[in-house]
Amino acid sequence: MKKKGRGMATIMFGFGYGEGFPDHSIAEVEITPDNIIKLRTAGADVGQGFLTTMTQIAAEVLKIDPSYIEIVGQDTHQSKNSGSTSATRQTFFSGNAVREASEELMGKLYHYGSLHFNSNHPELTVNNGEIYHCENKEDKITYFELADNIKKRGESLSAEASFFPKTYAPDKKTGQTEKNYVAYTFMTQVIDLKIDTDTGLIEVLNVYTALDVGKAINPINVEGQIEGGTVQGLGMALTEDQVIKDGITLNPDMTNYLVPSIKDIPNFESILIENEDSDGPFGAKGVGEPTLIAASPAVANAVYDAIGVRIKQLPITPEKILKALEESHK
Amino acid sequence: MKKQSKDVKNRPTSSGRDSKEYFRPKSKKELKEILKNNDILTIIAGGTDLLVSNYQKLYKIDKWLDLDLIDEFKEVKIFDDKIEIGSMVTHDRLVRLEKIKELFPILHSAALDLGSPQIRSRGTIGGNIVTSSPAGDLLPPLLVYDAEVVIISDQEERKVDLNTFFTGPKKNVLKEGEILEKIVIPLKKDKSRGVWKKVGKRKALVISSISLALNIVFDKDNIIKKAKMAIGSAAPVPLRIKSAEEILIGQSLDSIDYIKVAKAAAKQISPIDDIRGTAEYRISVAKNITKSALKEVTK
Repeated sequence: MKKKGRGMATIMFGFGYGEGFPDHSIAEVEITPDNIIKLRTAGADVGQGFLTTMTQIAAEVLKIDPSYIEIVGQDTHQSKNSGSTSATRQTFFSGNAVREASEELMGKLYHYGSLHFNSNHPELTVNNGEIYHCENKEDKITYFELADNIKKRGESLSAEASFFPKTYAPDKKTGQTEKNYVAYTFMTQVIDLKIDTDTGLIEVLNVYTALDVGKAINPINVEGQIEGGTVQGLGMALTEDQVIKDGITLNPDMTNYLVPSIKDIPNFESILIENEDSDGPFGAKGVGEPTLIAASPAVANAVYDAIGVRIKQLPITPEKILKALEESHK
Repeated sequence: MKKQSKDVKNRPTSSGRDSKEYFRPKSKKELKEILKNNDILTIIAGGTDLLVSNYQKLYKIDKWLDLDLIDEFKEVKIFDDKIEIGSMVTHDRLVRLEKIKELFPILHSAALDLGSPQIRSRGTIGGNIVTSSPAGDLLPPLLVYDAEVVIISDQEERKVDLNTFFTGPKKNVLKEGEILEKIVIPLKKDKSRGVWKKVGKRKALVISSISLALNIVFDKDNIIKKAKMAIGSAAPVPLRIKSAEEILIGQSLDSIDYIKVAKAAAKQISPIDDIRGTAEYRISVAKNITKSALKEVTK
């Protein structure tokens, strides 16, 4: 027999190092005469889309097509500190550093643009990689031509910024502080599943997610983060189990330490909530780790809904389900 | 014994096709010649088990015998009273053969449940049998279809009933210098109905916690004429459940005592606790899936 259940869980997640640590990120942006905007950051893309996000932020602020942006210096020998890709912090910290450096550079575009046109900055328009005077739109100069001009004078179109927010150390006695982390991400998930009462096997059917992301800089990447994070969470909820006996791990391989396969992945429907209420770039928040957290409690609640038994130890294996079913029938 | 070294520089590199002792016969005749002149050969078919169990120690293998160029071992021949499947037929080919789907639906389903597309495309039916894992997915279906295997050496040829082939976990009756050539399954006139169940902790690429194959022949009055049942991953070898079969024969659809059959099945298996399930779990599931399989087959 198959029994269906639905469960819900809501989580909040404070991200960044927080807690008084000197967490920061440094970025540099340079417009070069050879039609490239170099964006220098040491932040690591581990598949989450960091490079895409940084490119989009720089292009948005600098009002130019993203194809002109080239990320360089993905190496601590060639760039300054961007901090680790951890604690769900890169979009927030490096995104802000890139935004601030790009804003600084935008100021320089206006400055050198006004010198070029022998005019004041309110009379200039900067758009789509070009600067022109409001009264004569035909007379324009590209960012790259401008960079070439000022290079001859020994100057450059480049800017650097460090995003270095204050973080608050928790009180040693109470563990509390005004703001432990730079911002908080919120998420609610509803999970539908089906339990086979012969075998205790759980099949996850649907995952509905509402994620307060502040601002989705790249909505498809955010959905990807939700799906990837949740699938990891489902592994934690259902199969992933390091079995240790007498100090020896019995399943030190992917044959016996089971992560979900492509066939185990449920349907996803995701809603992105954009309140723009954080200090992140354009109001964005981190979405890496938070997307993993709700799966286990939502699955446990759905199991309770399906068979009326609370299972309080992960992973919720077929053995535990079958045992619970047998005990509830006694 | 050669010591396994983590030092890449000192690790022996001559293995596989680099070695002059990598034999790759193109025919059964050439194979027999090689068997005659060499002892202690490591035989490789699809390699999906061998390469995993010898991970990082392949260099320890001195002499390889690779069967993948012997076309005779890749043939599927259909006769009036039997079908012969060469030992080098891959799972993927089994899945795609219409005749297998039509005549041996449980074998087809089990081949489809085996591993992943990559494993099915490399792994072979002969390899699945020779590895002789109690969890081998094709083994319970082959047992219920009364399969026999043809074994050859440089000297002789013999036929073995699959029921007597397995002697323990990853052990079988094959002797040094013997090769599994083909599998012979009798074609029966009676119409049968079968069920295959594989229980694993995920939907693909998983070693079964327990598996079950059931094949039943009804007579014209819907009385069970023949019943064959086998369970995998629940004993040292894949096991025919003869006690359950005996109870079933002669029963009509509405007279089957499901609980009695399930109990008989549970009694005959001897599962262990391992990473894929506890013995207790396997016994419970054996009962449950026996009942469900019977209900499905009599529907």
